[in-house]
Amino acid sequence: MNPTLILVLATIVLGLPTAGFLVNALSAGRLPKKVVAWIGPGVVLGAFVATLVIFVAMLERPANDRGITVVLWHWLNTSVASAGGVSAQAGFNANFSLRIDPLAVLMMLVITGIGGIIHVYSVGYVADDPSFNRFFAYMNLFITSMLVLVMSNSLVFLIIGWSMVAFASYALIAFWYERKSAVQAGRKAFITQVIGDVGLYLGAFLIFLNLRGPNGQLLHTVDLQTIFANVGPGSHFHGGLGPVGGGLVTTIGILLFIGAAAKSAQWPLHTWLPDAMEGPTPVSALIHAATMVTAGVYLVARFHPIYQQAPVAAGVVACVGIGTAFMAGVIGCTQYDIKRVIAYSTMSQIGLMIFAVGVGAYSAGMFQLFTHACFKALLFLAAGNVIHAMHDDQDIRVMGGLSRRMKWTFVCFTVGALALSGIPIFAGFFSKEELLSNGLALGPAVPWLWVIGVSVNVLTSFYIFRVVWVAFRGEPRSDHAQQAHEAPPVMLIPVAVLAGLATVVGFLNIDFAGFAPITVFSSFLQPVLGVPRATPSDLVGGLALLVGVILSVGGVGIVWAVYGRGVISRELIPQRLPWLYQLSFNKFYWDEIYALAFYRPVGAAARFVRRAVEPDVIDGAVGGIRDAVATLADDFRTFQTGFLKDYALVFFFFALVGLVVLGLKLT
Amino acid sequence: MSGMFPGFLILSAALFSIGAVGVLVRRNPLVVFMSIELMLNAANLALITYARYTHTMAGQVFALFVIAVAASEVVVGLALITGVYRSGRRLDLDELSEMSE
Repeated sequence: MNPTLILVLATIVLGLPTAGFLVNALSAGRLPKKVVAWIGPGVVLGAFVATLVIFVAMLERPANDRGITVVLWHWLNTSVASAGGVSAQAGFNANFSLRIDPLAVLMMLVITGIGGIIHVYSVGYVADDPSFNRFFAYMNLFITSMLVLVMSNSLVFLIIGWSMVAFASYALIAFWYERKSAVQAGRKAFITQVIGDVGLYLGAFLIFLNLRGPNGQLLHTVDLQTIFANVGPGSHFHGGLGPVGGGLVTTIGILLFIGAAAKSAQWPLHTWLPDAMEGPTPVSALIHAATMVTAGVYLVARFHPIYQQAPVAAGVVACVGIGTAFMAGVIGCTQYDIKRVIAYSTMSQIGLMIFAVGVGAYSAGMFQLFTHACFKALLFLAAGNVIHAMHDDQDIRVMGGLSRRMKWTFVCFTVGALALSGIPIFAGFFSKEELLSNGLALGPAVPWLWVIGVSVNVLTSFYIFRVVWVAFRGEPRSDHAQQAHEAPPVMLIPVAVLAGLATVVGFLNIDFAGFAPITVFSSFLQPVLGVPRATPSDLVGGLALLVGVILSVGGVGIVWAVYGRGVISRELIPQRLPWLYQLSFNKFYWDEIYALAFYRPVGAAARFVRRAVEPDVIDGAVGGIRDAVATLADDFRTFQTGFLKDYALVFFFFALVGLVVLGLKLT
Repeated sequence: MSGMFPGFLILSAALFSIGAVGVLVRRNPLVVFMSIELMLNAANLALITYARYTHTMAGQVFALFVIAVAASEVVVGLALITGVYRSGRRLDLDELSEMSE
């Protein structure tokens, strides 16, 4: 790979969405909608083409030589070059350097590819919105931010991208700012992100302050490649971040994961994601399914050298992931809002990815990320078609019978549901089974985590096919459902493309030469992420796969029995296990718990301070200073007579004194 | 020429003192203004005297600056005086003492 070529291409990838953002934002609605409708998706698709060129250039290289670092610009450089008798001195720099390697290119392909499809779809979805250009400005900004995040080779720019992503997400969730609920949801998402940011910042600071080189000297670097090279195995004796499993590296791992958990909506920082469904549906597809929420998975995979040194932190990651996956799956079963069901399913699937990267199955986690981006964007966009046809009603109880009026949307949604459930031949099957069987081989408390993970399968296929059945089958239960109409081509074609992808991308994970543990996909990522530490034996793996598929199909069967044939009563769980139903329906009461634990005490403290502290202490202090100044001023103002002569006299007098003093000093 | 040196300085000091007394005792702003001009020019005279005495240019340059500053000062000052006069008040510095309130 020619570095100059890569630099130019990377600049195009980053520059096009940035330019799109600037044009759409600065034109402030003066551009006709038609132009915006070309610029918005156009820049993202252009970036996708440039990414494809990078990808092809990369494939031409030998597998172990596919990473390249290019510097976009130099910044804050304090190193001294040797010149004029001054010896060279290495210093600090915060260069905007980009790391173009298979992991980054994979993320770039997902961001610009899936993102481009969603941008095209948005042209139809927000066609009637007066803030058309604002929408595309934010969307382009999001793409830029996300690209900065995944391409950056510097902690500084990684954090900049990380925070810009949070802002773009906030702006898009609160896109319909006339709606109070949307604004509140945006605020909630942003505040949660910032809590996570603090974790990431602290982790980054600890790395910066403590990382030592091979000779034990402090490195003080923000360059990711340098960091990873020095924390890796073998360097821990002299340098790195202390011994394997030491307190420092464990703390760093957990702090970084706090950032990842907020971004990826993992317990306990997960409550923002369902509320974020207040945003337009393409936003949910782009940000809250395909890209932003997977940034946490990317972060853990990217920082895997640190997690390999910190088994305890990695264990925490795995447990939080699998726990969130299970909890979100349970909640998804009882929700009625079509987008919220998909949101909980996102949370659940990302939980599985987090679990995978926690137990060290990095490429399995990334593969799930990749397939999930396809089929979850598909589900969201298909749901967007439904919501559009239902005039913005998202409640599946008032839908029904949509399969007859929206045949193509129904087919696509079902493909997405099959892929999500992990039914064989669809994408989710390959990724999820690989992930779970890898987890089985690698996990610390193996069997239990695997049991939880595989039981998520039955939940997943239950809640998603429940939506299929209730929303698309049966008789229409409202006027809107009665009069629903198929979406326009600009919204249908992107959905169809994603449906195609969701069907075929799983095959990337098959090694056609045989059932070797390394497949096309993981061998692509292997130079960055390394080989899986262990894979299950064929027998165990095969059995695990069988159990997984049986459970997935079982979930569909339950839906069929409950909603299709009515063999099992819908009231079975609510009546027999009311506590379980209430727990699930009320989302495990996390919002209420947080209100009780944080919002109420802080509110009460604020009211107390307002009542007791402010009048006496704050107002007293401010008033006291004011009175003191006034008294002092009254004394001084007698000097100010208003007679020019008095002033002149004082002036001359002191000038004379000055002269005399000067004269005395000179003599 | 150098014999005249103390004489010029004494003249300068005398002009300055006359100006200073004028500023202090007169009540008409126009006269005060003329006194200020007298002081400025006294200073100019001292500057030029020293410049000649030391054979340098600095004093002369300063004097030019002083003339320029004095001109601009007159512009502002006369505008103020005219403004006060137009407002129908007596031109008496002792009565123009609102600044103290």
